Amino acid sequence: MNAALARGLGGGVLLLVLWEAVVRLAAIPPWILPPPSGIVATTWSARGPLLDAGAMTLFEAVTGYGIGAVLGLVLAMLLALATPVRKLVLPMVVVVNSVPVAAYAPLALLWFGTGALSKVVMVAFIVGFTVFLNALDGLLRVDPAAVALLRSFGAGPLGVLWRLRLPTALPAIMVGMRVSTVRSMIVAIVTEMLGSQKGLGWTIFEAVLQIDFLRVWAAILVASLISLGCFAAVSALERRVVFWR
Amino acid sequence: MTDAADQLDQLLTVGEAPAARAKLQLNGVSRRFGAVQALAKVDLGIAEGEFVTLIGPSGCGKSTLFNIVAGLLEADTGGEVLLDGAATSLLGKVAFMPQRDLLLPWRNVLDNAILAAEVEGRPKRAARETARAMAADFGLKGFEDHYPQQLSGGMRQRVALMRTFMFDRDLMLLDEPFGALDALTRAMMQRWLLDIWSRYRRTILFITHDIDEAIFLGDRVVVMSARPGSIKLERRVELPRPRDPALLTTPAFNAIKRELLDAVEEESMKTFAAGAA
Amino acid sequence: MALLRLVLPLLLLAALWEGAVALLQISPFYLPPLRQVLGAIWALGPAYAQAFMVTLGEAVAGFVVGGLVGVVSATAFHHQRWLRDMLFPLFVASQTVPVIAFGAIVVLWFGNTLLAKAAIAFYLTFFPVTVNALAGFEAVDPRQVALLRSFGASRRDIWWKLLLPSALPRIFTALRLSAGLALAGAIVGEWFGASIGVGAMLLAALFNEQVVAMWAAILTAAAVGGAIFGVVALVEARLVFWRDEL
Ligand SMILES: Nc1ncnc2c1ncn2[C@@H]1O[C@H](COP(=O)(O)OP(=O)(O)OP(=O)(O)O)[C@@H](O)[C@H]1O
Ligand SMILES: [Mg+2]
Repeated sequence: MNAALARGLGGGVLLLVLWEAVVRLAAIPPWILPPPSGIVATTWSARGPLLDAGAMTLFEAVTGYGIGAVLGLVLAMLLALATPVRKLVLPMVVVVNSVPVAAYAPLALLWFGTGALSKVVMVAFIVGFTVFLNALDGLLRVDPAAVALLRSFGAGPLGVLWRLRLPTALPAIMVGMRVSTVRSMIVAIVTEMLGSQKGLGWTIFEAVLQIDFLRVWAAILVASLISLGCFAAVSALERRVVFWR
Repeated sequence: MTDAADQLDQLLTVGEAPAARAKLQLNGVSRRFGAVQALAKVDLGIAEGEFVTLIGPSGCGKSTLFNIVAGLLEADTGGEVLLDGAATSLLGKVAFMPQRDLLLPWRNVLDNAILAAEVEGRPKRAARETARAMAADFGLKGFEDHYPQQLSGGMRQRVALMRTFMFDRDLMLLDEPFGALDALTRAMMQRWLLDIWSRYRRTILFITHDIDEAIFLGDRVVVMSARPGSIKLERRVELPRPRDPALLTTPAFNAIKRELLDAVEEESMKTFAAGAA
Repeated sequence: MALLRLVLPLLLLAALWEGAVALLQISPFYLPPLRQVLGAIWALGPAYAQAFMVTLGEAVAGFVVGGLVGVVSATAFHHQRWLRDMLFPLFVASQTVPVIAFGAIVVLWFGNTLLAKAAIAFYLTFFPVTVNALAGFEAVDPRQVALLRSFGASRRDIWWKLLLPSALPRIFTALRLSAGLALAGAIVGEWFGASIGVGAMLLAALFNEQVVAMWAAILTAAAVGGAIFGVVALVEARLVFWRDEL
């Protein structure tokens, strides 16, 4: 085990110990800040419903993520090919993007109801935007001299896209995908909190109403673990795809 | 020579041009990086006001030597670095110009030139006035407010030199200041540097890969050996000053060049053989 | 010219909105005509202005503190390797926590005050700034640091004259991203019981199923976002003028 890893683990353990000690010594009531041991105990005893809720949220997040990533990528490639359209569309995209997605959540609920659809749409929306902007930036940031060289070999716009732009943009695309994982979970939860009958967001909302803050913390713990897992998975994928970095 | 004779010699030479007191004295300076012995027992003395040029094969430890004299690197124990006869902390005592110009892109010419002065705590306004007055000497008149990315390579180099001169220290270390310039610009910069030096009179230690440059500029040329670097040869250059380009084709110049070339070539071959092995 | 570049997409978007509603006969349930939305804002001008100011204040408070904390922690991480090894993984992990879920707890801690929303905005802001500032510090040429040290520069000199300016372009990239995140934090923070602000307006519109009011709130949110973003871009243009020429 290397020193950095040891220090990182040490930091995590230190935080937990400190948290536990402060809560116990200062006798902080659990509704203000429960000790880590209490959160873990609650999570364990409520593992059944929490896992169900987590699975629901994960399903919404993953579905929306897939749809959004594909749409964002395809759109970015289309706009990378069509310069005039891009010059027209891009500023408008930036304006629409300047509104935080959270603000669109009520609209999605109104349009698509309180079922899973509204969450999937919201997740696809944010993931799509993130991937689109990152991918487009990467696709356009190629060396003009390299483009000229490929064109001199007789490559058309599609050839340039496939052989030059896409590989060049891969790191940027993967960054967008990685950042999107965490966002997709957050957006799914936020939308659930506003209106749903299932999922972690709904669990949190219910727990707040019942003033059961230990359950709120337990749900946060489950959500964080799922996010961390997705993040790690996409990071691993990134290391594979962008091996030359 | 005995001490008594030495003293007598000094008495007799009183009144002659600058007393040959050592500005900088290196005694047995070594440095290793892990398994790499970069410098091995370097002995070198530089007199006040002297212009010494240093040549040696690539990777022989020239920049390492400079970093030690500038106080950026510690020498290994056993050797000593004496500035004005004393072994003091060297940071902030020597005007050092690294191998690249390292200009800051967010500062214009004047503000880049006063960087060292600013660090010393001199008031900005006064430092800028001094720099403005010096700009003409450094061929930068009219470019005071330009940013580095708007300058040619030769001009950037002159800004870096001006920054070094503005850091008002008796000893200047210049690490291949003209290495990246084309031959014409380089020849002009050499003459210009000699002109500046005769006016600002500092002690200069100057690294170069170019033997012509080393002879043309120096009072003395020091040749370093292949790694581990030590002093292989010192050659005084008794060519008259001021020097002009015609000097480069004189027999006297060529005689010195022949002598140095042999030494440098021998060391370069060693480096090459070591690299090929 | 710069103004035109700003206004043109807005006008285009407005025209597109009005045109689409009229031509495609979109039901006002999905997209009411822009005129109607602007009319609603006009009719309740002071209320929207108040919401704008309140949400702006919350977001900016969190944003500013988050930016400062980001730069300070990046500085600490840059100078102390062990601190970075110890805390940076925690910083990363903290960002996988769905902070929004914290909203209820943060409001419990700080009450229904500006502080609660600013805290959420802060939580979302500091991380990107830390990451980018650190990357900026690490990218500084060590020879440049050596040069300054040869002038006898102290750590403080080096930070002010070299590290900070070198890292500014990356810091601003993060700040532009964080501006949007801070606003999202403020809006969601208002969902836990606030009565004034853009987030509160959105929630009220959702409960009353008023699509026009919802779009009016979204436009107000866009105005807040645009205001923060605009100021950041202006400051960036002044401070990082040398970047384009690099
Ligand atoms: N910080 C360092 N860590 C490890 N090795 C180093 C370090 N600095 C220099 N070296 C090694 O010491 C040797 C001398 O390097 P130095 O830069 O002094 O050479 P140089 O004579 O200036 O070469 P050049 O003419 O190419 O500039 C090289 O082999 C180099 O790899
Ligand atoms: Mg060197």
